[in-house]
Amino acid sequence: MNKESVIKSRFEENGKVFETGAPVTGAVSIENAVAVGFGDGSIRFFWPDNDPIEVQAHSGAILSIASSNDGVITGGQDGRFLKISTNAEVEEIYNFGTRWVDNVAAFESMVLCSSGKNVYIWSDENDKPKILEHQSTIGGIAIDQNGRRIAVSCYGGVTLWRLEKNKWKSSKFAWKGSHGKVGFSPDGKYLVTTMQENELHAWRIRDKASFAMSGYPSKVKSFTWAGDNPYLVTAGAKEAICWPFDGKEGPKGRKPLCIASGGQQNATFVESLPGEKAVFAGFRNGMVLLSELSEHPNDVLIQNPTGSEVSNISISPDRSHILVGDSKGQILWSPLWEQ
Amino acid sequence: MENSSSQVPVTVLTGFLGAGKTTLLNRILTEQHGRRYAVIVNEFGEQGIDNDLVVDADEEVFEMNNGCICCTVRGDLIRILGGLMKRADQLDAIIVETTGLADPAPVAQTFFVDQDVADQTKLDAIVTVADAVHLSSQLGEHHEAEEQIAFADVVLLNKIDLVDQSQITGVKDRIRKINPYTKIIETNRCAAPLDEVLGLNAFSLDRVLEVEPDFLDSDHDHEHDDDVTSVSFVSDTPLDLEKFEKWFGNLLQTHGQNILRSKGILDFKNEKDRYVFQGVHMLMDASPMGPWPEKSIRNSRVVFIGRKLETMNLKEGFESCKSD
Repeated sequence: MNKESVIKSRFEENGKVFETGAPVTGAVSIENAVAVGFGDGSIRFFWPDNDPIEVQAHSGAILSIASSNDGVITGGQDGRFLKISTNAEVEEIYNFGTRWVDNVAAFESMVLCSSGKNVYIWSDENDKPKILEHQSTIGGIAIDQNGRRIAVSCYGGVTLWRLEKNKWKSSKFAWKGSHGKVGFSPDGKYLVTTMQENELHAWRIRDKASFAMSGYPSKVKSFTWAGDNPYLVTAGAKEAICWPFDGKEGPKGRKPLCIASGGQQNATFVESLPGEKAVFAGFRNGMVLLSELSEHPNDVLIQNPTGSEVSNISISPDRSHILVGDSKGQILWSPLWEQ
Repeated sequence: MENSSSQVPVTVLTGFLGAGKTTLLNRILTEQHGRRYAVIVNEFGEQGIDNDLVVDADEEVFEMNNGCICCTVRGDLIRILGGLMKRADQLDAIIVETTGLADPAPVAQTFFVDQDVADQTKLDAIVTVADAVHLSSQLGEHHEAEEQIAFADVVLLNKIDLVDQSQITGVKDRIRKINPYTKIIETNRCAAPLDEVLGLNAFSLDRVLEVEPDFLDSDHDHEHDDDVTSVSFVSDTPLDLEKFEKWFGNLLQTHGQNILRSKGILDFKNEKDRYVFQGVHMLMDASPMGPWPEKSIRNSRVVFIGRKLETMNLKEGFESCKSD
């Protein structure tokens, strides 16, 4: 594409572009920064008013990143589970050797990770991790809003662990097939997973009633929640597909909203704009659009195509900045509002 | 499957425990210095692999929910290959070592079924290390050994210093009966030229064009039902596209479980291009591959490797696809 002929978006005009050379593998908010994990094992903290700070943390790619109450936690291909403070101090929580640390999550002072078929939980009181075993390699982990339940996805469904009298009790939500990412709905009533097939699966936790959300032309790599209903916003199609989760039955038998329709390729990452009924969608060709959660949405161009798949979109905690990262390592860091 | 130089080649090493997989692996890693490899090993595999990027994996075979009963894939490969593609450093190749008892089909099928895997990596070849002393008895006892030979693009017939010439001839006949198209390299301590093991591009449709089924072995010895065998057919009469699609689609649907591998070059009536296909069980990759070269003979050639091939009326089916 001839870059000269492209009209830059306001975000590209006002923001900064960094070429890091390493794929963006994840990002998370911490304090007032966005912490980004890269394929070369580094972390960069992007602050609204300062230059980014780089920390070399892992050798090999960072596979997962989450924020805990005193730093970001990361899992890497070097088998290390690390905590990195915003002033660049690196602490090793555990070393799994040649086993990858695929997923990490945190709630207050509790941190957990998955490596292979096990989830390892560190709580305040003790240094030895509590181990939760599963039947196959873990695809994703999620903690609910109260820190009382952990959802773990793998082949054959989701295991939901509840903390009762200081013991983790499990309950199985079965569905044939290989499950990847997992998440709770904001009200904690539903579990959602992405699948190896081009679809998502969901369960109502109360009665384990389950349903599939299918029809995608490609694998669903990303989902998030947006709006008051709320909507489950999903990547995997040429538009952001938004399933309504209000009412007793959620999206069962209802049509999704399809927004952010200006991208010519499949969406690879979606993120909501906190406090607004709006969604960012990043596409396989690097384009990013902001779209309204409505039947007739207006789209705003955030980023023109870069030629590389959008692998992350994050909003700074104060909502002042947006970060877009792609699979080749380009970062756009831009003020979100007119100044 | 895409054909692009940006795809990282993946070589799959199979073979029974003790055949010499680790020896071959270490030979590749030490002789090809300056190149960057990732090695995916199984936790039950042999120890002592000398490489800085070794990934432990469980061989997790998953069924796909796509209505295809024999469609299994290696879930761990999808996860690990995806993870390796997130690295900043460019890999020259990836080598997957399987356990001795592994069926190669799910590995191969992973490259057909998962779009991300197919976009970013390509299956280069399946290389089977066989123990010249023990292969004959292993073939009789374990169907996995047959499958590993049936899927092999290259068989390294190792430890030939421990057997005499007549035994070598015997075991090679056994291999050829299962898979006449595999390349057999006789070795001691897996000392094979590495360019005959790596960078073969054996799963590309281009390579199918090199298939030369110039033999027609219809006089099989009396064989056990479970034995893996192969058959091939040639037709000088152009085929009818519609008839072929109908017969072949139905064949894979009905007998895909017993057809391990299939390949072919097809000459369709009123089509100027050569059609090429290759498949693993029910999954198939097919495409027109440009016009026939001017001096070449236009004919159709198909090959099947599998079990119970005699029950599938393959010859009659293929004949019925000829155009009127």
